[in-house]
Amino acid sequence: MLLLLVPFCVWVIAFLILPAVGMLISSFQNEGGQGFTLGQYSKALTHPLYKTAILNSVMLSLVSSVIAIVIAVIGAYSFTTFSSKVRDRMLNISNVMTNFAGIPLAFAFMVLYGTNGMFTLLFKKLGLSFLTFDLYSWTGLGMVYIYFQIPLAILLIYPAMYAIKTEWKEASSLLGANSFQFWFRIGVPVILPGIVGTFSVLFANAMGAYATAYALVLRNFNLLPIQIGGLVSGDVFPRIELGSAMAIILFVILMIAMLINEKMLKLARKGY
Amino acid sequence: MQTQERNRISGGRLWHNIVVILLFAFLLIPLLVTALFSVSTNWENTILPQGLTFKWYEALFSDTRFLYAIGRSFLIAILTVIVSLVIMVPTIFIISLYFPKLEKWLQTIVLLPFALPGVVAAVGLIKLYSAPPVAISGTIWILLGVYFIVLMPFVYQSTRNSLRAINAVELMEAAEVLGAAKLKAFVRVILPNIMPGLIVASLLSFSIIFGEFVLANMLVGGSYEVVQVYLFRILAQDGRAASGTIITFFIIIFILYALVLKIGNWKPKVKPLPDAEEEETA
Amino acid sequence: MSFVHIQNVTKVYNKNKVLDQVSLSISEGEFITLLGPSGCGKSTLLRAISGLNDITEGSITVGGKDITNLPPKKRNVGMVFQSYALFPNMTAFDNIAFGLKMDGLSKKEIEPMVNEMLDIIDLKGKENRYPSQLSGGQQQRVALARALVKKPTVLLLDEPLSALDAKIRRSLRTQIRLIQKRLNMTTIFVTHDQEEALTISDRIFVMNHGTVEQVGTPLEIYTSPKTEYVAKFIGNYNVWSRDQLKGIPMNGVPSQGEMFAVRPEAIQLVSTEQAGHIGEYTADGTITMATILGNVMRFDVDVAGLNIRVDMLNEHGIGRLNTGSRVKLVIPSIEWKNIQKSD
Repeated sequence: MLLLLVPFCVWVIAFLILPAVGMLISSFQNEGGQGFTLGQYSKALTHPLYKTAILNSVMLSLVSSVIAIVIAVIGAYSFTTFSSKVRDRMLNISNVMTNFAGIPLAFAFMVLYGTNGMFTLLFKKLGLSFLTFDLYSWTGLGMVYIYFQIPLAILLIYPAMYAIKTEWKEASSLLGANSFQFWFRIGVPVILPGIVGTFSVLFANAMGAYATAYALVLRNFNLLPIQIGGLVSGDVFPRIELGSAMAIILFVILMIAMLINEKMLKLARKGY
Repeated sequence: MQTQERNRISGGRLWHNIVVILLFAFLLIPLLVTALFSVSTNWENTILPQGLTFKWYEALFSDTRFLYAIGRSFLIAILTVIVSLVIMVPTIFIISLYFPKLEKWLQTIVLLPFALPGVVAAVGLIKLYSAPPVAISGTIWILLGVYFIVLMPFVYQSTRNSLRAINAVELMEAAEVLGAAKLKAFVRVILPNIMPGLIVASLLSFSIIFGEFVLANMLVGGSYEVVQVYLFRILAQDGRAASGTIITFFIIIFILYALVLKIGNWKPKVKPLPDAEEEETA
Repeated sequence: MSFVHIQNVTKVYNKNKVLDQVSLSISEGEFITLLGPSGCGKSTLLRAISGLNDITEGSITVGGKDITNLPPKKRNVGMVFQSYALFPNMTAFDNIAFGLKMDGLSKKEIEPMVNEMLDIIDLKGKENRYPSQLSGGQQQRVALARALVKKPTVLLLDEPLSALDAKIRRSLRTQIRLIQKRLNMTTIFVTHDQEEALTISDRIFVMNHGTVEQVGTPLEIYTSPKTEYVAKFIGNYNVWSRDQLKGIPMNGVPSQGEMFAVRPEAIQLVSTEQAGHIGEYTADGTITMATILGNVMRFDVDVAGLNIRVDMLNEHGIGRLNTGSRVKLVIPSIEWKNIQKSD
């Protein structure tokens, strides 16, 4: 019977383990794939171009995740106040929208908010120029990131929101608490583990996102995944070793985020 | 009723309506505008298009490059889904029933791709497979190889859940006591019962592969041009074809999700528990 | 002068009258129970008193104050939920203190009050536990303390025991009753369990389809049900219509009335072989089934096709009565309760 497990093992070794090990090895090699050196890592962490890419990615991921979570919490809570039929429908739509990311999303945003985009022109005409933004700026990219994070955040946070029992709210209102006091003292503390867990998934999602920024070709966003992609399949000449080191760094950042997440979860769950 | 009472306390039906409307406006407008763009005659410097037409779709669907790209996406998606079901399901079944000690290992391996962004995965694969002995970079085979890994967590979770839901251990025992050989019991008893779960997993896997860009672009690019890579390449030159492709892509996604819902095994993550008292307060 | 006064309360939901012109009065310190099956409107009435549900018509007065249109937190009612509804992120202490905090009391004022409650519910030393670390019964006691610590004018208990297992349910109901008496707390208790209602209440309001079907002390309700509905709900009454009794060879059937209820334990059963001395009796029958219920034996007796349920104390010698035994039945004439037919 163990024989039946062989195809799976072979596959995992060939397309998961070996590439990972190969990448780890090459991240410690010099250009040309020889020797042993920490040079690739030191370059990745000190060279302004690469260092900035890492920082940009972390910042963009943090900010877009936080904003998306806030919106998702408010939205998902509103979902719970509708009848189950409407609620299911809203969740289904939101789940389908998790597929709207990457290249298609970048295109849609160009049509809407690009230089001649529909909203750009509309807001200008209405004299609401302050509502327009440059899609090819960090703000613009942030908007796109927030957009594709929201449906995922709703998907992940909804179960936690649903776990807030009507009776808690009833009990707290009978005991004299108003809506704000309820959320401050009971609602938010109860969903905190869910929020923390969702946050780490969103952060990882944003850190690894490549297609969206890549598709906004009018500007070269200096992000970690974009740099990795460029180094590995660059037009000029590929620098696999540096790319490997950057990829390992990205992986390590995600691992750290997950570890922090686990720690936070334990803290948040303390007691109950 | 329950919801109605909720509102009395949480205040503001109005507030929740506004939240939901704004949220869905933000989420749906980009898609709707893309759809509008794909059927507009001329839309350069105006807020709304000057006219509507389907001629771009006619052009798109007579463009062999587009049709080939869609065909390639379908081919790789079907191939990967079949291969991963054929390999994963027996593996998960055997391990969870007969080698439960290995389960933890399996789980760790299988969930690993969740923490592995496409870019990172691509790096290792390019290095390993662009030179002999196995130079499959740029072919459908490397995509098949890596998409299998991408799908692992999803296929694992739905298979595992289905097996758990039908209580596979007891079903197998019952079938064997009744005289069925293990293989026969698996094919006749287990497989039909986990089929709905597997179909749902397949459909969702399908949508994942259809939307995948990073690996397709970095590993094979133009030599096996799938729909997302095609979309990226025409994005700057031909906005109509791009918007038409996006809408086509989304229609496929909608159909997949509709099928998932129809099969009915797919529920929103949490379902309210029917409660006697809830009926009473109604 | 009644302390809680509910007058003509009607609640219409989706064109259904969930409560239909309900009126009831409760004195201060009284423990009353709203009893009925799920769907009879008892919980809706309770939630209307708490302010969690609004009502379509009628008025609710507590302690001489009309609270019909007040929001829940201004009513000063305490409520305990079936699911406990303890806040999972707070310890037992913080759960109990919550309402006092909301009233803006200082820590110094709160602490002795909470400690006193902990004492009353017998959970001293467990105040720092979270709800998940407490058993169901302990959780429900915390919920009770949380409601009581605010000194509410009336305490509302919404099936507080039904999520607990039988043994804990019994001991907790005694505790609730003792605490209620000690604090002289006006209490409204909702349940679908007639045994619970009979043991705990000063008075019982049996509810049916949004109306109060019968009011009385547990003894009154149990011994003199007024309607078929109450008789069937409250116990294992034999309920017969006159039509059913037609043609059955029975003596002593009252000449008046259309429906009758007879308590199973009020019927005497004697084996025909030993019945020489019995004199007048109601009917001859055959035991079709004998069931041990612990201290009571339950017999199903067939009298010409009519099934009669009889409960007898499980005394020495009862073993002679068995399935198939021929028996004579005696139903004292006072035990034939005339009841109204329910639809």
